[in-house]
Amino acid sequence: MLILNSVIILVPALFALFIHNYICHGKVTPVRKLFFFVLYGIVIGVLLYGSAWLQGIRGIDILQKTLSYKITVTIFSCVLSFCLVFVVCLVVEPDITMQKLKRYLLRFGTDVQKYFEYAIRSARADLRSEVANAYLDWLWWLIEPFCMMLIYALIFGVVFKASEPYFPVFIFSGLAMWSFFSRGMNVSVSIVRNNKGIICNIYLPKFILYFARMLVNGFKMLVSFGIVVVMMVVFHVPISWNVLYIVPIMAVFFLFTFGLGSILMHFGVYVNDLSYIVGILLSMLMYFTGTFYAVGKRIPAPFGALLEQFNPIAYCIASMRNAVLYCEPPQMELLLMWALVSLVLSALGVYTVYRNENAYVKVI
Amino acid sequence: MEGYQEITKEGVKETAIEVKDVCIYYQMMKNVTVRHNLFHKHTQEAVFEAVKNISFTVEKGDILGVIGKNGSGKSTLLRAIAGVFSPNSGSIDLKGHTVSLMALGVGFKDNLTGRDNISLSGMLLGFSDRQIQQRMQEIIDFAEIDEFIDRPVRTYSSGMRSKLAFAITAMLETDIMLVDEVLSVGDERFKKKSLKKMKELINDKNRTVIIVSHSIDTLKNLCDKIMWIHDGAMKEIGEPKKILDDYLKFMNQ
Repeated sequence: MLILNSVIILVPALFALFIHNYICHGKVTPVRKLFFFVLYGIVIGVLLYGSAWLQGIRGIDILQKTLSYKITVTIFSCVLSFCLVFVVCLVVEPDITMQKLKRYLLRFGTDVQKYFEYAIRSARADLRSEVANAYLDWLWWLIEPFCMMLIYALIFGVVFKASEPYFPVFIFSGLAMWSFFSRGMNVSVSIVRNNKGIICNIYLPKFILYFARMLVNGFKMLVSFGIVVVMMVVFHVPISWNVLYIVPIMAVFFLFTFGLGSILMHFGVYVNDLSYIVGILLSMLMYFTGTFYAVGKRIPAPFGALLEQFNPIAYCIASMRNAVLYCEPPQMELLLMWALVSLVLSALGVYTVYRNENAYVKVI
Repeated sequence: MEGYQEITKEGVKETAIEVKDVCIYYQMMKNVTVRHNLFHKHTQEAVFEAVKNISFTVEKGDILGVIGKNGSGKSTLLRAIAGVFSPNSGSIDLKGHTVSLMALGVGFKDNLTGRDNISLSGMLLGFSDRQIQQRMQEIIDFAEIDEFIDRPVRTYSSGMRSKLAFAITAMLETDIMLVDEVLSVGDERFKKKSLKKMKELINDKNRTVIIVSHSIDTLKNLCDKIMWIHDGAMKEIGEPKKILDDYLKFMNQ
């Protein structure tokens, strides 16, 4: 039992080691690996027990706690260690210094400034070209998600008897966010290859390509949310000031999609079969995200709530629904946590792309 | 290396391009798998040196010709100067000049219209929206694609593509032009027109040009200086006549 319980510390420590190795480009010797593994284990343990101690809980007995508590703690420490690694790397790795970080940050700033207009223009041109040859023009942006919603509402509402208050709006808003995410992931894997012509002839920061694509998807999501507003009026959904929470929620969601996408983008250049893997993972994730059912309620007790809290997409969608449809504010600690994680993830993504983009031209 | 010293001795004119000890490697990736990438396992990677330790300077307004057999690293060097990728070691200093690379098959986004592609390419070359709009009509006229300009590029014929690509780089004039074997494109008539435009651009005293070509005659006519690259390393640099003769002698062996 004790071994099983030590997993709570060991899993996050292993995870931290993995990220550490990734940041250092896999150049960590076995001895150092062992050292860091122990270090991370100790730090996480101290942090866990320390925070409990500060809250006035003397001597927690992990053995007595419920499974859900254990899983929560484990995942929470994983998240913690994800952010912790960066601090540790800054201190101990000679390759990663504050100065370098500042340089990357500065470069990122100037690049964004310089290419922002390009990204917007490229997104606008993409949107225009998508509808230029279609009979119904931009109406497709309304029709397509609307039809998808009807299908899901029929299958899940009638066949599977899933029902939530304002079910069509419930599905539609979830679907809008989910398709933003899944489109982003699908695109990111092959984006460097698909833009070979541009990349081989001129320099641009590669994440700009992905960012432009995200703007396209973001615009489509915005259109979908326009319909959500109309539907809310039709269904007489009550509204409160809590609806404003949608802004930070969306910001976190956008940042998370950007971070994950830019990392996928990097691996997509080298690994040809990644698009299959991403496809499978995405369809799995779709069902675990509760696009058309409430994860928290439908999945048996500890796991449903856990899934809703610790799957960032599910969390974003659920809190968006809470804010928009049910007048409830999101859980602030969790929102803050995911904001931090997304920020770190984006930094990691941009760093990965910067560090490797030189080689992309030579590979594709 | 004699040639390099010769240039620096003159030193009167302003330098536009300074290339110093540039090396560029290609890493030949072998069996790339998900596992390999995730864990950064270093398998044996063959490294191919495309450019070895090349240094030279080009003065403002000069025309440098680059010659060498296929696969000797000419295009790689040109791309590095254009900033498509940075060299693995050494430095390239353009002294703040804008640069454009003219190569066959310029990067178009296939689904966008010609007009959109013009403005996107222009923006990437560092032009403002207003500057692009000013020259838009000029580009369209020069490329002779008329009403096709508002159709997606994927519907263009290969001739139209290359004409448009040529028109974009020729009309959006940058301080430094890097020409990769594209002195003229299209049919007989357009060839003449584009060659004329090219000569006009190249002979502008404010424009620095590097031309990669296999045509001895062209290089002899246009260039002030020739660099001969062999297997990634610089073999000779200097007067066009001497170097081209050496090169021909070498190739006919």
